[in-house]
Amino acid sequence: MSLLDKPTESIAPPLVNSRRTRVIAVLMALVGLFTLFVFGLGSGAKTHSSLTFDPINVVSAPIKLGSLSMSVRWTDVVLGLIIIALATEVFVRQPRRGVMARFGGVATLFLIALLSWAARSPGPSITSSVNITSILVGSSATVMVLVFGALSGVMCERSGVVNIAIEGQFIGGAFLGSMIASTTNNFFYAAIGGLFVGGLIGLVLAFFSLRYRSDQIIVGVVLVTMLGGLSSYLTLQVLTPFPNFNTGDIAPNLAIPGLSRIPILGPVFFNQSGFFYVMMILVGVVSFALFKTRYGLHVRAVGEHPRAAASVGINVIRVRYINVVLGGAIAGLGGVAFMAAQGQFQVGYTSGYGYIALAALIFGRWRPSGAVVACIIFGLSVYLSYDLQTYQVPVSGYLLAMFPYLITIAVVAGLIGRVRPPAADGQPYQRD
Amino acid sequence: MSDVATKPRPSLWVRYTSSSPIVVTIYALILGLVIGALIIVTTTPAVLDAWRGLFSSWNGLPHALNVSFNNVGAGYREMFTGSIVDPQGFWHSLVTGKGWPNTLTPLSETLTYATPLVIVSIGVGIAFQTGLFNIGANGQAVIGGIAGVAFGSMLHMPTIIHLPLALVAGVAGGMLCGALPGVLKAYTGAHEVIVTLMFNYVTYAFLLFMVLSTPFQQPGQSNDLSRTMDPTAVLPPLFGTKSGLRVSYGVFVAALVVLFAWWLLNRSSLGFDFRVTGANPSAARASGINARKVIVVAFLISGGLAGLAGVVQVASTTHYVDGTFLIGNAGIGFTAITVALLGRNRPIGIVWAALLFAALGVGGRNMQSTTGIPLDLATVIQSAIVLFVATPVLVKEIFRLRNVSTVGLQISTTGWGS
Repeated sequence: MSLLDKPTESIAPPLVNSRRTRVIAVLMALVGLFTLFVFGLGSGAKTHSSLTFDPINVVSAPIKLGSLSMSVRWTDVVLGLIIIALATEVFVRQPRRGVMARFGGVATLFLIALLSWAARSPGPSITSSVNITSILVGSSATVMVLVFGALSGVMCERSGVVNIAIEGQFIGGAFLGSMIASTTNNFFYAAIGGLFVGGLIGLVLAFFSLRYRSDQIIVGVVLVTMLGGLSSYLTLQVLTPFPNFNTGDIAPNLAIPGLSRIPILGPVFFNQSGFFYVMMILVGVVSFALFKTRYGLHVRAVGEHPRAAASVGINVIRVRYINVVLGGAIAGLGGVAFMAAQGQFQVGYTSGYGYIALAALIFGRWRPSGAVVACIIFGLSVYLSYDLQTYQVPVSGYLLAMFPYLITIAVVAGLIGRVRPPAADGQPYQRD
Repeated sequence: MSDVATKPRPSLWVRYTSSSPIVVTIYALILGLVIGALIIVTTTPAVLDAWRGLFSSWNGLPHALNVSFNNVGAGYREMFTGSIVDPQGFWHSLVTGKGWPNTLTPLSETLTYATPLVIVSIGVGIAFQTGLFNIGANGQAVIGGIAGVAFGSMLHMPTIIHLPLALVAGVAGGMLCGALPGVLKAYTGAHEVIVTLMFNYVTYAFLLFMVLSTPFQQPGQSNDLSRTMDPTAVLPPLFGTKSGLRVSYGVFVAALVVLFAWWLLNRSSLGFDFRVTGANPSAARASGINARKVIVVAFLISGGLAGLAGVVQVASTTHYVDGTFLIGNAGIGFTAITVALLGRNRPIGIVWAALLFAALGVGGRNMQSTTGIPLDLATVIQSAIVLFVATPVLVKEIFRLRNVSTVGLQISTTGWGS
């Protein structure tokens, strides 16, 4: 039976691949039809909307871009037709490469169509507008947190340990970060505290899964439950009686002189809190460390084939310990960053971002750069699910709130096709 | 293996110091309570004040120890009297024959809490036995509760049809919700952990949407409150409404579920396929078991039981759902994961584990109201217990248990790859 299975499996990939391409094409076509009929032809002939690009805080933006006013109907009809054309091209030609890039393009076009439709005014006179820059700035906070989580996942999973406890590390980091930031009024100390508590949780995960070879997913989930309970317990026991420990400060923005004045890009990338810059640097550092250094080679070897790595003298357990602790520290820092963007610690306010970060990591195929792209998509959808409620969208806000999670499911379920995790990911390792 | 039967029965001491699953579980329970005690000691202001006195006088140490023990003791005592029985009240009732409802209230509450917990945990346990990790049981239970309330409040008919209909609606809702991760896992390889976790958040949003949408909302209400189930659709209290004891006929539903699960896992060929797939997926494939079918059916059963738990929860307690249904501490779907692990995924084990965790949860509530120690301590103790149960080797080392093979003690799920 197993002998018979082999050949079919080796034939299967291209077949599955072409089927997947067709499925993606059909999905794209559906998006296009939706844009055409609901957003385009569904809105009145005279509806207009406008996109603005100037940040709300005008002082930091000396260069004015003005706003782009357009007819909703014709814009969205044209966008819908472009999307359908892209879908047809993918369906007919079935390109081997760049399918996901086209899908990303379709998603962007759809987003523009959606925004221009959501901000529509009934007549040519503009009453409401969508501020693109403020959407990007608003979602950048979520993106930042997700990137921290995904980087933590990359560190752990590349060395072969599944870190489901990212959510718990967020909770721990946010809790301790809030306490430290409130008492010392210094986010640097808070960041140190976040690194410490995240690393500590990572150490617990490593201890149980490496030394005692417990199931990593179970340990991770139990750690999240435990930290959720502990944070709620400590909130009632400590933060409620002593509100000074949880004043809810938000980290100040540190504008980079000059660069922060570039239109659109400036407010998004160069007028952020310190955590954002740390995140951008970390992306580079983790990519470099994993793919360009000797240590990174060891890490990847350990994650793919621990026995082979051990046979050339790499200490598998030590590499995994180091990576899980470092990864946990990064996630803990992400928790502090979350707190520094949202203010005051509240029970359960990380609302599953740790798990979304994990999905972003899978979507990004266990690479920091891919994970960043995935985090941008997820972060935007999280932000828009709240932000769209302020526009003219005839859908309940609660249904919109499902949006990011449904997108995550859709992505994990095969928009990306079968992904290949590090071969030893989640497998306990036993020394010979 | 046959020589096991011929061996002489080991002495009591050897049995208590050897690492059989039950012994490991008991020691894990002790460790969990110790951790809980440490948390109480390190976070309660009164205790910390006492320890601060250590530096001012020689009497500080006994005083500090005394206060610590008092606080921990009070907490755990309230947990016990709030969930099982208050010895004083019990004697009083026994001697005078009065006040039985009051005396039995803690036990009744524990059973009320345990009833849906058993059902949902068995669902999670069946998925575990198949090698699937259903973290979405809570969401499935939410959907089951919504479906049950919808059928129980919007249709009107006699009890004999209405009650079963409400229960079946809950099962169907949970199945629908469980089908998605199952089908996605079987046909696209999406890992069920991510899909079920994400679906939890989707179902919360759906719950809020439902309790605020006109057809389902309590008429004349603007809060997040659903309609109330008809009296014909609810599970009535076992001892009548007058007794004030909430334990309902739901315990019989739970008992039926336990029987069903035992039969399914131990006597049916489907259950055999489940367990083979869980124990060794490649062997299952080699022996011709249809892996896709097993995954989908296991998720259908798991989700269906979660849905049933949701409707049992509603039909035996509040009779309506609100915006906080099964959120936070009441999230039986999350407790179920730990219960299933503690019960080693076997129906009878799960019953004991669910009773224990229900007692911790209900007792925690009592502890919070009388001593002010937050009830979330119960969650922490529960997860600590499971952490130790999932790591039998550590328990063995701490208590220096005799070296009996730990094969079969270790619990495992499947990683991303498979």
